[in-house]
Amino acid sequence: MTLIGQASRWLGALAICLVILLPVVWVLSISFKPPQEWLAYPPTIIPVEPTTSNYIVLFQPGNPVGGVAAMVSSAEPVTQALINSLIIAPIATAASVLIGFFAAYAVSRYRVGGTFMPFFTLTTRMFPPVAFAVPLLVYYRMLGLIDTQLGLILMYTAFTVAFSLWMMKGFIDGVPRHIEEAAVLDGASPWRVLFTITLPLVRGGLAATALFVFILNWTEFLFALVFTSREAITIPVQVSHYVGAVGRFYGPQAALGIVASIPVVVAGYLIQRHLVTGFTFGLVRE
Amino acid sequence: MAIKVERPPVAGGRKPLFPRLVRALNRESFFQNVLAMPMQLLLWFLLIIPTLIVLYLSLVAWEPRMGVDWWQAPFAWFRNYGHVLSDVRFWQAIVRTIGVVVVAVALEFAIGLALALFFQRDFLGKRLFTAVILYPMMLPWVVVGLAFYLLFLEKGLVNYILIHFLGFETGVAWYHYPAVALSTIILADVWQWTPFMFLILYSGLGALPRDPVEAAMTLGASRWQIFRYITMPMLKQVIIIALIIRSLEAFKIFDLVFIMTGGGPGTATESLSLYIYRLGFVYGQLSYAAAMAVLILVSISIIIRLAVRPLEYEV
Repeated sequence: MTLIGQASRWLGALAICLVILLPVVWVLSISFKPPQEWLAYPPTIIPVEPTTSNYIVLFQPGNPVGGVAAMVSSAEPVTQALINSLIIAPIATAASVLIGFFAAYAVSRYRVGGTFMPFFTLTTRMFPPVAFAVPLLVYYRMLGLIDTQLGLILMYTAFTVAFSLWMMKGFIDGVPRHIEEAAVLDGASPWRVLFTITLPLVRGGLAATALFVFILNWTEFLFALVFTSREAITIPVQVSHYVGAVGRFYGPQAALGIVASIPVVVAGYLIQRHLVTGFTFGLVRE
Repeated sequence: MAIKVERPPVAGGRKPLFPRLVRALNRESFFQNVLAMPMQLLLWFLLIIPTLIVLYLSLVAWEPRMGVDWWQAPFAWFRNYGHVLSDVRFWQAIVRTIGVVVVAVALEFAIGLALALFFQRDFLGKRLFTAVILYPMMLPWVVVGLAFYLLFLEKGLVNYILIHFLGFETGVAWYHYPAVALSTIILADVWQWTPFMFLILYSGLGALPRDPVEAAMTLGASRWQIFRYITMPMLKQVIIIALIIRSLEAFKIFDLVFIMTGGGPGTATESLSLYIYRLGFVYGQLSYAAAMAVLILVSISIIIRLAVRPLEYEV
């Protein structure tokens, strides 16, 4: 391609990326601004007097920092929500990926459940989650799982296992059958084949699936909103509390948004290559 | 094919302590069922039993504030369904949600396809640019909602741009007018999920065989003809899958509305999920919400059957 063609394409891509980055840059910018700059006219992308007090008040609402603390003293600290998310999302992810991996192996190698079972799992992703939240509320109340970490972990595991199953099935289908058969001929039990032959071969796929499911679990909002109130509240719910309860305190809201996004942006960056498989349940192969 | 080979006795191997138990554990039928068991249990407890409960709930008249347990509530049979079908707010929410799905998914598809075609040629820094394009869909919905909420404040960045660069007299009060508020929600959805369309179409385009295109070129086909009659038909399968998945996802829309407008002004931007959420968990009318949930489950199942059928014949 000509040099001019290259340059115009490059400029076009740059413009697209700027548009895409704008909302996030704006949030990032507000998160470092002191209160008088939140709505300052004309707005600036780079804060005039940058401050980290928005981030500090998230964790110490009682501590007066830069005049922001007094405004958000009514809000609860985000520490609890952060800890909950850091417990719930990884455990649910590990459970979902393990259960999905075993089931995917059974489906891929033995056709367990025929074609019905794997497609049936997809129903958890097809319907609006609110339709499941209604019966789960009375169900969870009976079981005493409301506002517990275990309750959310179980729910997140069940509602992401379809992703785990389908993504892992794709990776397991890619392992040549004859490697496993050779091990069987050498006298290895099916358990041994699974754990010492197949598992190491799909390690990369397992990691990609785990990161993908982690993104889903970390960002999940509706179930967390319905099924938690104090003890097991997660980060997305905390964001909504900040937007709802503390009104016009844009700085801390923006800071919390940034905190909530960091883990998933990192996870997403690591698994770029596998995003197509993930988002389409492996229906679209690369 | 299942691996069915009788294991030869291992010469000199260690004798198992409980040979019978080990043999039972290693039997293929046991092995494969144990593997699938955890998932089946999970689906029974968190999918099938709740679905039965929602069916039951939709047939009784029960609200948590009645003070009786839900299984003791009197039957209302199909009265809940009757109420749902004559509920104006329900129909408004349905039409609004479908409208959002159609507009948002159409925009996402068009922009996503344009981007995917744009990124087919190589240029400097392409990998970095694609990485930037992909990240919005990783962000939590609530954070996207928050970002657009901050952008569209009365004294926010968008109004500043409108006034100072596009010659508007005053800023727009984005959240005061139903159609305008709804369009900010659609915009947020398009911003977050165009990358999804881009990603799928981009990798779909990349995976297409080159031969037909090259053959058409040598025969003197124009670029438009190649796109219209060769690329698009080959890409059809991928496009249908992308549209189905994205439409189902967009129909769930809840987080963005909850954060950005809370359904307001009034109920003018309330999505179906938000309405069911409010009925069930704010107003406490669980049986009513259950009837609505059942109607949604049934109608989406039917739509999926109809949408997937053409796919199955072509696979």
